[in-house]
Amino acid sequence: MQIQPILAALRRHKAGTILIALQIALTLAIVCNALFIINQRLSHLSEQSGVDEPNLFVIRNMWGEQYSTQQAVQHIEEDVAALRQVPGVQDVSAVNNYPFGPSTWDNFITMKPDQLSPTTDASFYTGDENFVRTLGLKLIAGRDFRADEIQDKGLRDSIVPAVAIISKAMADKLYPNGDALGKTFYAMTSSPITIVGIVDVLHRQDVSSWSASYLGESMITPIRIAMPWGLTYVVRAKPGQLEEAMHAAPKALFAENRMRMIDPKDGLLSFAEVRHRAFEKDRGMAILMGIICVVLLAITGAGIVGLTSFWVGQRRRQIGVRRALGATHRDILHYFMTENLLISLGGVAIGVLLTFGLNLWLVTRFTLNLLPVTYVLAGIVILLLLGQGAVLAPALRASRVPPIEATRPA
Amino acid sequence: MLKMTHLSKVYRTEVVETYALRDFNIDVKEGEFVAVTGPSGSGKTTFLTIAGLLETFTGGEYHLDNIEVSNLDDNARSKIRNEKIGFIFQAFNLIPDLNVFDNVEVPLRYRGMKAPERKERIMGALERVGLASRAKHYPAELSGGQQQRVAIARALAGSPRLLLADEPTGNLDTQMARGVLELLEEIHREGATIVMVTHDPELAARAQRNVHIIDGQVVDLAEDPRFHTAYTAAAGQVRG
Repeated sequence: MQIQPILAALRRHKAGTILIALQIALTLAIVCNALFIINQRLSHLSEQSGVDEPNLFVIRNMWGEQYSTQQAVQHIEEDVAALRQVPGVQDVSAVNNYPFGPSTWDNFITMKPDQLSPTTDASFYTGDENFVRTLGLKLIAGRDFRADEIQDKGLRDSIVPAVAIISKAMADKLYPNGDALGKTFYAMTSSPITIVGIVDVLHRQDVSSWSASYLGESMITPIRIAMPWGLTYVVRAKPGQLEEAMHAAPKALFAENRMRMIDPKDGLLSFAEVRHRAFEKDRGMAILMGIICVVLLAITGAGIVGLTSFWVGQRRRQIGVRRALGATHRDILHYFMTENLLISLGGVAIGVLLTFGLNLWLVTRFTLNLLPVTYVLAGIVILLLLGQGAVLAPALRASRVPPIEATRPA
Repeated sequence: MLKMTHLSKVYRTEVVETYALRDFNIDVKEGEFVAVTGPSGSGKTTFLTIAGLLETFTGGEYHLDNIEVSNLDDNARSKIRNEKIGFIFQAFNLIPDLNVFDNVEVPLRYRGMKAPERKERIMGALERVGLASRAKHYPAELSGGQQQRVAIARALAGSPRLLLADEPTGNLDTQMARGVLELLEEIHREGATIVMVTHDPELAARAQRNVHIIDGQVVDLAEDPRFHTAYTAAAGQVRG
């Protein structure tokens, strides 16, 4: 190995060496954190909603005028009945919101009424006795709501239910021993709520980083919210009939009552579209970060190619001398590869510190998670391979310098 | 030690063929100190680069230490250069980024020698050229004569069978040149085979044997009527 003389030679070319090492360090720091962010964002894209996505669509209905609670309840019942008559519709439920929805309802959850620090936070769904069936949720313990448990609530009514169906994630959080069914919890009120059912998966209503801390923790209450301005219907189509049902459903609603508004852009959405919209930012961020990584790696690779090519040109006679003194093609190739490896190792050593520094800043500033060491290791491997790949062409050129070059005038 | 028979070196372009060496014959015995002289463009340096396996030849035969070298691949040629030949260049050709110690070490590393042996040989060679105390200096910190001594130490450290010197005093003043020449003579007395290319008749006169190259061929100046007068005059000057 020629490490010592290569290091000695590099000490005589400090400026180029330090610049490339710093470029590698910065690239490592940015690429590692960017890859981590990309992975987090992409993992969101595949988050399970728990609902029957291929057959669901939502209708966001606005009344044309403000209704009292009683009027709203009556119109909801008429709408639900009309939608059930639409060919291809299997089930309908009037809801406050749905997974990956445009807004969020949530509540801090405690185990005791006077508990100051919440045990967790739950996404808060309201629905009638059709909610579980319409969304296609998988009830894994307990029972569904009975019709007599459903309460109609207006805007200013207190909405404290006596019972709830909760997701398994929430059940596990509240009762880690797995005995949540039949137990109680509190949702910022003094009245206990009894757990009557547990569904396997029910995603929270939003996909914010706040929600990610309570991933999958949701509760359904037997309440039909009768807002004065409107509400949302979740409709489940029969398998393979989504398109026809989506086409016919608004017509049925307008036929039943023309005094309503369904936004042509956002009022009627398949669940595929709901998911697509919910993760638009994540997808965009992942693409942006990916582009940044590729550009940075390309710039760093080009920098290494440029500097090594310059050094090969500068040292042509020196390479000839080495060849004259007995160096083989392979010796010269190894020389430049080793030289790059040493610079890259210096770069990644600084880069590791920068990577964790940048991550700590992102953690404190943007509530990002702590970077796992595997990302740094992967980043180191990527940068070292990039360096070796980038140096290969100029190093091969150097290895082809003939020994006669030693006798040529400088 | 070094035998070339009917050797030729032709540089070809699309329109012209130029013979740098033509029907070139030379036989250097082990332990000889041979000076190769000749006018500029006569083929001296081409002869030396072929002798040192720095480039290939076009025709003929070349035996170095009883090895026919014409069919050797690049790795084998590198190995012979490394183990059997020591080079001393006119421009010293030290590596400016390495200190004296590391410069002398270069051929020994390519030989795969262990560090303790390398160190022993390097310090031995530097002591021999009187520069052991300058081991940590860089070439730019040395005079021309000292740099050439380092180059000689680098050539000697590998204990080569053949020392090839290309105008070894060409870039030195008279005093430094004398010192380098005395060093070469001392190395020769110890048994090394030296082939030295020079255009300096005084330097050539101190060698054991002179070989003159003209137009890519070895000529005997005393017998060739074209050069008889000039040779006699030059020999008289040297003797005088």
